[in-house]
Amino acid sequence: MLNVKQVSKIYEGNMAYRALTDIDLTIETGEFVGIMGPSGSGKTTLLNLIATIDEPTTGEILIDGKNPHLLKKEALAKFRRQELGFVFQEFNLLHTLTVEENIVLPLTLDGKKVKEMKQMANAIAEKLGIQEIMKKRTYEISGGQAQRAAVARAMIHTPKLLLADEPTGNLDSKSSKDVMEMLESINQKERTTMMLVTHDALAASYCNRVVFIRDGKLFSEIHRGDNRQTFFQRIIDTLSLMGGNAHDLSSIRV
Amino acid sequence: MTFRQFAFNNVIRNKRLYAAYFLSSLFTVMVFFAFALFAFHPVLSGNDMNTTVIKGMNTAAGIIYVFSFFFILYSMSSFLQSRKKEFGLLMMQGMSMKQIRSMVFLENMVIGFFATISGIGLGLVFAKGILLLAENVLIIENLHFYIPIQAIVLTFISFIVLFFLISLFVSYVLRSKKLIELIKGDKQSKGEPKANLFLTILAGALLAIGYGVALVAEGMLVIAVMVPVIIVVMIGTYLLFTQLSVYVIRRLKNKETFFWHKTNLLLFSDLSFRMKDNARTFFMVAMVSTVAFCAIGTLFGFESVLTSNVKITHPNTYSYQTYEKDEEQAEVAFIQETLQENHIEANTEQALLRYYKIGQDYLLIAKQSDFNRFAELINENPIKVNDGQLLVVEFEGVKFGQTDELLKQKVELTTGQTLEPSKLIYSRALPATDSYYVVSDHDYEYLPAPEDEMSYYAWQVIDGKEADLQVSKKLSNELPPYKFTSIEYKIYQLNKDFGTVLFIGLFIGIVFFVSAGSFLYFRLYMDVDGDKQKFKSIAKMGLTDKELKQVLTRQTVILFFAPILVALIHGAVALTALSHMFYHNLFTESVIVLSVFFAIQIIYFFIVRFFYIKQIKSAIQ
Repeated sequence: MLNVKQVSKIYEGNMAYRALTDIDLTIETGEFVGIMGPSGSGKTTLLNLIATIDEPTTGEILIDGKNPHLLKKEALAKFRRQELGFVFQEFNLLHTLTVEENIVLPLTLDGKKVKEMKQMANAIAEKLGIQEIMKKRTYEISGGQAQRAAVARAMIHTPKLLLADEPTGNLDSKSSKDVMEMLESINQKERTTMMLVTHDALAASYCNRVVFIRDGKLFSEIHRGDNRQTFFQRIIDTLSLMGGNAHDLSSIRV
Repeated sequence: MTFRQFAFNNVIRNKRLYAAYFLSSLFTVMVFFAFALFAFHPVLSGNDMNTTVIKGMNTAAGIIYVFSFFFILYSMSSFLQSRKKEFGLLMMQGMSMKQIRSMVFLENMVIGFFATISGIGLGLVFAKGILLLAENVLIIENLHFYIPIQAIVLTFISFIVLFFLISLFVSYVLRSKKLIELIKGDKQSKGEPKANLFLTILAGALLAIGYGVALVAEGMLVIAVMVPVIIVVMIGTYLLFTQLSVYVIRRLKNKETFFWHKTNLLLFSDLSFRMKDNARTFFMVAMVSTVAFCAIGTLFGFESVLTSNVKITHPNTYSYQTYEKDEEQAEVAFIQETLQENHIEANTEQALLRYYKIGQDYLLIAKQSDFNRFAELINENPIKVNDGQLLVVEFEGVKFGQTDELLKQKVELTTGQTLEPSKLIYSRALPATDSYYVVSDHDYEYLPAPEDEMSYYAWQVIDGKEADLQVSKKLSNELPPYKFTSIEYKIYQLNKDFGTVLFIGLFIGIVFFVSAGSFLYFRLYMDVDGDKQKFKSIAKMGLTDKELKQVLTRQTVILFFAPILVALIHGAVALTALSHMFYHNLFTESVIVLSVFFAIQIIYFFIVRFFYIKQIKSAIQ
């Protein structure tokens, strides 16, 4: 599904900075992969490269066997809108729109029929349990609700790949749990491929596999067995192995 | 870091944020200074200048000053609105409202001081250009460059006072808001104003009534209905933007097939979100632009009316008329000689015009042959009057003649025969703005004794040749104006006298129009951060450049052309009413004035759109 081959990213400028070095990563269809690492390790850079928001300096990224970076700008924007779904730390909902309007926004840009959009919005709202806030404005809902609305927006067009950048970073532990459980159930029911970048070991423990990055290089990866609790413990262990102490890891660190 | 240093650094290190406010203040100062520079010019303020013109200048300066006050006040309040969040942050850090006020006061004085200085400086740089322009375009002679001490002092003091007053006014603008409102300021809508169906209908009705009355009224009635119509249309315009537009947008929003169609969702959600601010801006821009259109349109209209009236009533190149026989020969000879000396070829005719007392009036009765000679001179068709016939002639193009009365009266001949008016014709042959009679040469002999006699000469320069302005000037200066008339010199004089008035009018019109542009710029500037944020998040999800451009273009089009379109319609109606007042067709003038403004607006739109899109794009990348 996703193939990252020998990707490096160098930020040019007065001080050239190497953010990623020769990253190789493969994600299978329906897999739920977490990317972890300390601040400045290059996680978000990797996500941006896969999200086609940024371009790799060398190497190539294939999504479903195709390299989206070869597309022209216009086509690239359409590709993002139609094939990818995004969930951000800061929700990125438009405060001039209601929740429902936010959710259908990617569809309206594609010129879908209103009836169809309504149906899809209702279906996804029901699935994610946000029907009662559909008519509300973004400043009238809580952070957890906003993030669920953002997930709904990312999922409405059933993307091939859902990319989440610290989706729990702005949420309390209860809301984090709700959002992660929701993502997990989407992953299991819809077989949507997901990639999650996070600092939060608890959030990462919902993934099938967690990849660790340090200083722009792959450090290691661990797979989840049947037990989420032990997986969580192994994540904490790996993080402390990478540097720092286990109890240093707070759920929110920017 | 002392508090003063903090306030100072806050301005200096935040240049871009303050730039718009600073520039609009600077611009205002510059405009006022340029006007003062012109008004205080020795040539214009000298003793020989018309007192009404000086009065007009002072009034204009007053208008510009008062307008500057409100303009700067508006700029500042919108500038402060955009900094709500910053104030919220400072208050959260423990800054008291008093401290914020004194900070804003200090900032404002610093900006005001520098704006005044640089406005005057920039004005001085352009001074020569402004004077040259005035001199060339408006036929005002000898507007040499001078060091305008008076203008500098006046501008400096006026604006320091103005900025001081406005700085004090800040406490009004910064009413103690709740901290939470300040911090959430940019996220919370100021609320979509509710559209009231009654007020919506009222908006349409008021505009219809105002337009209707303005278009129907004629002559002096126009002046009588002017003030009520202006008030009605103003209220109508306000309601149009606050009610009708809200109503329309709501209807569109509720119609999901439209609202959810592609980029409409982004465009209209934004429009309704900012409705309150937009409505206010739209109203102001529309009113201010209307004033600009009307000021300039009226003056052009006046000029055109005056010039064409002069042209209509003076069909001959030169004319000479006198009741005094003794100087007649010498003066006519002088005119002939001067024309010959300067090789001006002209056909000439002479006649003795007799005035008779008929009923209550003194009326001109001319004979057919005299009339025909003068008619031929200006290429009009000769007429044939039979014996016993009485022809009424109305001066073509002038509506002041008492034609109706003449048609009812009778003329008695010495033979006892009575002539009755048989026909009405229009002509410009003889120099009478009142209507008159023409009789046959035979009947003319039998008219009773005339009350008065006037000797009349007319010269018509041969077709295709121009009269010489210098000659016209010389003749007009030598001979008394009640005897000798040169159409060319008369129009020259008219334009010269009108130049100053026109200049003042143009100035005020341009000031208003440019500030209307500034209002729009401010509106856009306040939204730019929100837009950057918004498009940044949408771009991540995937928004093509084309779609981005489309949304931004439409947004800017609505902002730029909705109020201007209303103003153009207002202006067109006002100028139509004006033409009804003068019974004079001002269509060409109106079209020229309005289309020039429209063209400028289009250019302005493209410039602003270019930079706005560029800014948003740079934020996305």
